[in-house]
Parts: sequence; structure tokens; C-alpha cells
Amino acid sequence: MRNILLLLIAGIVMSGCAAVPVTDTKQSAYPAMYTDAKPISMIIVPAINESTAADAGDLLNVTVTQPFANHGYYVMPVSIVSDIFKREGILEGTQVKGIPASLFKKNFGADSVMFMTITEWDKNYAVIAGNVSVGIEYVLLSTETNEVLWSYTQHVVVDTSGGNSGGGLIGSLIVTAITTATTDYVPIAFQVHQRASGALPYGKYHPKSGQDGADNVVNIAAKDAALSD
Amino acid sequence: MKIITSCLVASLFFLGGCAATVTEAGYYWGDYSQTLYKYTKDPNETTLAAHVEELEDIISTSDEKGLKVPPGIHAELGYNKARQGNDTLAMGHYEKEMSLYPESRLFLERLTVEADKGSDQS
Repeated sequence: MRNILLLLIAGIVMSGCAAVPVTDTKQSAYPAMYTDAKPISMIIVPAINESTAADAGDLLNVTVTQPFANHGYYVMPVSIVSDIFKREGILEGTQVKGIPASLFKKNFGADSVMFMTITEWDKNYAVIAGNVSVGIEYVLLSTETNEVLWSYTQHVVVDTSGGNSGGGLIGSLIVTAITTATTDYVPIAFQVHQRASGALPYGKYHPKSGQDGADNVVNIAAKDAALSD
Repeated sequence: MKIITSCLVASLFFLGGCAATVTEAGYYWGDYSQTLYKYTKDPNETTLAAHVEELEDIISTSDEKGLKVPPGIHAELGYNKARQGNDTLAMGHYEKEMSLYPESRLFLERLTVEADKGSDQS
């Protein structure tokens, strides 16, 4: 069962990635996540959108809570957090880059802060099929030590031409059919996060928390992992 | 074929037969992302009401199914009640969020303080 899933994960990740991925166990890829430094809560700051699609930020911001909460973390309510940021004049993650991670501990009580950079969101249309090519980098920092706890580069092509691409089934998924008539990008954004969160060690609120250290993961650290500097 | 395989994989994941919308961590989210997206894209009374209704439905469905309400749902509903001026309901939801997820305490307490400040100023 686990093998099938790993194949699925590997297939999905590899299909979209030019670099040769390194397979590793979760524990050796993300050692800090198996120590006391493992966070219980995370605050997710609004995505930095470097793609050409203006809508990509909203799509990926509203869909990020569920997959990461499902993975066992307490995710600070994204909609409230973004309201607070807006009041402070912060609309996207670039403006938060210079803020010391410890401030998120002090002001929000969050153990960790996650940054997302959308590098690509390209819609491709063809006669019988369509897809969205998505590139996104995740960096999870400890608000105690400022160290990178987890980082991941996601590059996937998600089929929008109907049916289910089979890729969104890792972990806990609400199976959502994507129809051709009106392409709904919410489930697509959801699938992107769903796949990435699969590479994160399970959090406290997941029944497998602490038991996945030996699970294999395709380790693709975000190249911009030192985002907060 | 793909769909059949998908369904098989999916069904293996879920413990209950009809619990297709309950995640491994035991959460029910309804249409959360969809209603939040619609409200984010076009914030108005209708989209807000639909999202608030969804939050209420997630809570009542979770209760019916004996599930833990997912992280942030009580907080978000409380936040919306506070913005409508219903502080009693807001506090009730914040308290529930804090008892389910103690790590939300600092955040919600600060939120309450900020809200008080806001209403003093206005």
C-alpha cells in the first residue's frame, strides 16, 4: 500500500522536475522535525507570487490551510491572518521577508512560519486537453531558532481536462472531479498543496505523527530556503 | 479505470464506509476552500454569508459525526461574529477553539484585545 503511494508520489514529482530528485527517508531529509524543534502550529504568510497569473496568489492562499491541517498541524486561520496583515499594509509575502521569525512567535504564538513562493502558474490549452503547470516553493522556519525545518520545491502539471489525474490522492483527500466546462482552479491549487504536504513529516494532530521517520520522500529542498535573510 | 483505481486507493484510506469526506486526521471540511475563495475574490455580503454558513455547517456536521472540528473553523466563525458586533457568540467560538487547540490561545487572546482597541477608537 505504502509502496503504491510512494510510486504515485515519485511519479508525480519526477514527471515535473528537471533535476534528478534524491530519495531519502523523511527523518534524514528533515532531521529537525524529529526533535523537540518540531512545531505544533504554523502561520502561513500570503504567498509571494512571481508567476504571471494574478489569481495564483489567492488560489494558493485559500487552499493551503486544509492540506497542512490535515497533515497534523495547527494552521493559524489564514483568512484572519491575512486580514491582520492587510491592516498592517502587508499584502503578500515579499513584505514579510525581512521580519525576524521570532515575531511570529511573539505576536501569533506560532511555532513555525511558512513562506510560499509561486514561481509558475501557466495555463496551457489544447484541443482535447488542458493543464496548469505550477511551480511553488515552500519554506518552513522555526520561530524559535529561525532554522529551516522543512523546504520543498513543487513543480507539477495538473490536468484540467476532466476526470481525476490520480495525483491528488495522497494522504487524506476529498476526491474532486474536475470538469472541462468551467475549469475550477480551486481543487487544482488544493492538489498542489496536497502533494507538497505529503513530503512533510506528520504533525501532532495526525495519527501517524512521529511514526513516519523511515518513510521515503523525494527530497527537493527549495533553493531559496534562506528566504528570511 | 483511473477513477476506479483512485476510488479504491481513496476508500482504503478512510476508515468508515461513507466517510469519504473525512480526512485521516479526522476532519470534515465541507466546501471550505470554495466558499473562502469566492469571498476572497469578491468580498460582499452574499459571499460572506455563504462562507459563514459553510463554517457553521462544518461545525454541525462534525458534531453529528462525532468529529473534532478542524483547526481554525471556530476561530474564523468567532472572528466573523465579532465583526458583526456579536461579542458573546465570538467569545464562545474562541473558547471552543482554545479548548480544542490550546496553541491558538495567544493568537485569539491578542485578537480579542485588538478588537477591543478597534471598537474603542471607532
